[in-house]
Amino acid sequence: MLVRVSRCSFLIRCLITVGCLLGDLSAWASDMLSQIGAQIEQHAVVRAEFVQTKQIAALKRPLVTKGRLTFSRSQGVLWQIEQPYRLNYVLGEARIVEIASDGVRRVRETREVPGLAQVGRVFRAVLGANADALREYFEATVQGDPAKWAIELKPRQSQLAQYLSGIQLSGGRFLEEIRISETGGDSTRIRFSNSHAAAALDEAELLLFGAERVDRAGQ
Amino acid sequence: MRLRAMLWLLLACALATAGVMQFSGPLPLHSNLLALLPQTEINPVAEQAVGSLAEAAGKRAFFLIGPASPEHASGPRNAENAGQAAREFAAQLRGTKAFRQVVAEIPQFDLRQLALFYLPYRFNLLNDFDRDALVEGSLDVAARLQHKLYAPFQLGPAYSLADDPLGLGDGWLAGLPLKTLKLEPWDGLLVARNGEEVWAVVSAELAGSSYDSAVQRHVVSAVGAAENALKKDFPDLLVLRTGTVFYAAAARQSAEREVDLIGAGSLIGMLFLLYLVFRSFRPLALGLLSVGFGIAAAVTVVVAVYGEMHLLTLVFGASLIGEAIDYAIQYFSAHLGAGKDWEPMVGLRRIAAGLLMALTTSLLGYAALMLAPFPAIAQIALFALVGLSAACATVFLLLPWLLQTAGRRDPELSVTLPRRFLVFWRAYVSRRACLLLAVGLLAVSLPGWMRLSSNDSVQVLISRPVTLVAQEEKIRDLTGFGNSSQFFLVEGQTPEDLLRHEEKLFERLAKMTGPGNDRALDSYLGISAFVPSAERQQENRAYLAKRVFSDESGLRYQLAEASLRDEVASRFVEEFKGGQGPVLLVEDWLKSSLSAPFRHLWLGQMGGPQGDQGGFAAVVQPQGIRDVARLAEASANLPGVTFVDKAGSVSQLFREYRQWGALWLLAALSLVYGVLCLRYGLAQAAFMLLPTVLSMAVVLGAFGYLGTSLTVFNVMGFMLVLGVGVNYAIFLCEGGVNEAATLAGVLLSAATTLLSFGLLAFSSMPALSGFGLTLLLGICVSVLLAPMVLSFTRAATP
Repeated sequence: MLVRVSRCSFLIRCLITVGCLLGDLSAWASDMLSQIGAQIEQHAVVRAEFVQTKQIAALKRPLVTKGRLTFSRSQGVLWQIEQPYRLNYVLGEARIVEIASDGVRRVRETREVPGLAQVGRVFRAVLGANADALREYFEATVQGDPAKWAIELKPRQSQLAQYLSGIQLSGGRFLEEIRISETGGDSTRIRFSNSHAAAALDEAELLLFGAERVDRAGQ
Repeated sequence: MRLRAMLWLLLACALATAGVMQFSGPLPLHSNLLALLPQTEINPVAEQAVGSLAEAAGKRAFFLIGPASPEHASGPRNAENAGQAAREFAAQLRGTKAFRQVVAEIPQFDLRQLALFYLPYRFNLLNDFDRDALVEGSLDVAARLQHKLYAPFQLGPAYSLADDPLGLGDGWLAGLPLKTLKLEPWDGLLVARNGEEVWAVVSAELAGSSYDSAVQRHVVSAVGAAENALKKDFPDLLVLRTGTVFYAAAARQSAEREVDLIGAGSLIGMLFLLYLVFRSFRPLALGLLSVGFGIAAAVTVVVAVYGEMHLLTLVFGASLIGEAIDYAIQYFSAHLGAGKDWEPMVGLRRIAAGLLMALTTSLLGYAALMLAPFPAIAQIALFALVGLSAACATVFLLLPWLLQTAGRRDPELSVTLPRRFLVFWRAYVSRRACLLLAVGLLAVSLPGWMRLSSNDSVQVLISRPVTLVAQEEKIRDLTGFGNSSQFFLVEGQTPEDLLRHEEKLFERLAKMTGPGNDRALDSYLGISAFVPSAERQQENRAYLAKRVFSDESGLRYQLAEASLRDEVASRFVEEFKGGQGPVLLVEDWLKSSLSAPFRHLWLGQMGGPQGDQGGFAAVVQPQGIRDVARLAEASANLPGVTFVDKAGSVSQLFREYRQWGALWLLAALSLVYGVLCLRYGLAQAAFMLLPTVLSMAVVLGAFGYLGTSLTVFNVMGFMLVLGVGVNYAIFLCEGGVNEAATLAGVLLSAATTLLSFGLLAFSSMPALSGFGLTLLLGICVSVLLAPMVLSFTRAATP
């Protein structure tokens, strides 16, 4: 395949947050997605560490990225890459800000890119635990029990199916792993560790979210 | 007498022949509101561009289907409902054959297609940010490579790592202005979202012109039926619509209603008044004959000259009935006044001078209107000129032959009331009282003048139904559709010239956008954002060669360091070195289905002045305009770039003509005065003009008090007040021994005129109602003050 649109990686984040938010899955009901709503309400902030391994055909070896993830129910998501180099992403509802290690920001309004708003909506649907909205885009199959579970998501619409053949989530009390398979053959695996809930964001994190509103630098 | 009647018959026959030859079907009525607008652009291609943009938009109808109220927006099946409803609605419309094409399902907009399309040209294409970095030599290849590898998200469409390891191609794709609409694909449909609300889009192309009455009828009934069907299946959903065809249909409908109302109203009122005064059916029949001949002649001549007739002319024409009857009324009152001594030719001779004088002043008023730059107003003026002349000719030629027997009715009986009024005026109203009255009226009007405001907006000319406007605004809001009346026209001898001109414009516009509040506009859209000029493409490639590919071994080392496979890195480098690579041309872009939403920006090759092949033209659409003046500056001194602001130009023209209108009016006043002087001498002519001039002063004052903004159409109305108002003074002056009967005639003709123009004041077309209101008030005051002439003439001829 000549061209690839790395759209799915964004979806990953959405789904990570599902996982993070799943939290205590003690009351595993038959309608898992609806259950998420109740789970989400429990935590204002969830933090976790991640290791992402990308298999790309054009590369000699897999690409490994390490970093931290912070989810805030009210603000959005911070995706902070620490290795091999520092790069921060702030995912708000209306825009995505990329902050490089030298402080250079790139802002994209989700509305400006066709399709990005849609992905953003999946993202928000997940954050809002809007099971109906999530069902607009995916068929979900649930297996296991609250101590050890797996969810398989298949895109329902051809728009998403162009890029994505499927997503698998697995975990226990928190989300532990995400696997994403792209139609072009590339795949991504993300493992989470040290997941824990908190009551609020710290100052540095708030600053990143707050600063997001002001700047709009060159793209 | 018989000879004259024969002449009239001859005229009537000629008219009938001409009419039959012209109309094979129904009256060719024109409802295009744009045709009312004057030519404002100096550059003829600009007018063409305005027309072609309007026409492209004009053939489309656009629907949004979504929740009837915000409460209905939430719920699990919100989007599915809207989607299903849109499909059913489209199927319903398709079944009616009112449309050539109805689109609900969209071909899948595949972002991969976009990247695939640009792939062969990717070394020629750079966004401004990367291009600047390359020019300055500040592009950090290692950092770009790292970013491409490790960024967890590509913000938008992107190439594969193998095709574009440095992400420069991604930068170009990300910079494409694809975000112009807020619409997005969903489940095979296009939808707009507003919070929880989901609105599905259905668009349709008409089977014919929006201004064709058959097309309008079919479309309106098809949409109505489909809407009703939808209401049954989805009671919570609502259909929003917009499109020129709906406005045109509404305009036609209201115009037809008004023609019926004004025509029937003034006809019935006129016949009633005629019978009241003359108590005989003969004047009724003869009056109708005279008016009918006038209107028929007017329609025939207007269609012969213009090939069609505008709705506005027709509505106005309906109101002309009241004025055209005046000449016949004068003749009937002479007949009434003469009683048993009636001699048809003597009676005619007695009123001939007055009739001709009245006709001349009216014609002068309308002729002044013909000078106006509005095609529609000039058409109205022609209609009036022909209609009035023909009606008057009927009185001169046909009526003496048809009205030979003397009246049996005692003239004194018919004119008891007017005579009493006249006696009262003669006895008690002195010349001094008249002058006092004049000064008093002026004093009362003066504060009103101070409060006068003006309105030069295009809206003055074009009325748009409130419900349609509200729907259109909501659709604009939901979809982000822009307003197309302000744009840059870019021209060039060749497409390449054009693109270079556009790039110069873009450089200036880029400085006017940005995050600050001082920006002149939010964004702009033009074809060169998708296809740079060949010159720019070659420059881009040259910069890449100089800054990136000149150190080939260094680049290969960096690619290898990033763990790119050797064969992938080689292919990338070889592909760049492989040759100049194809240059992306406008026609390539136009052929691609990806350009579909943007094709309206390209106007293509225009016709030259002598019908030969002219240059190429394209449109750059500014969006989110905050400062129109600065936009106009942006195109200053740029070759091949013109800023077109149709609404602004028309408003400007309205303002100029409103201001010049005062001068025209003075000129017309002097002209009428000159004509009056020829017959009545300097002093008496002045007295005869006094009531009319006073009436204008009073009407202006009244507008001030009422808070009615003055428009160019009020000024045009004043032209006619001058032309018509002075008639009453003339008729009274010419009355001679039969004053009582003449007064009855004057009052009668004033009543019929007021009836017609009064009804015109209630027209839904702002231009006509402003015109009508001015005439109603102006003529009303002119008539009330007309007996002033008696006070002055009595002193002169005791």
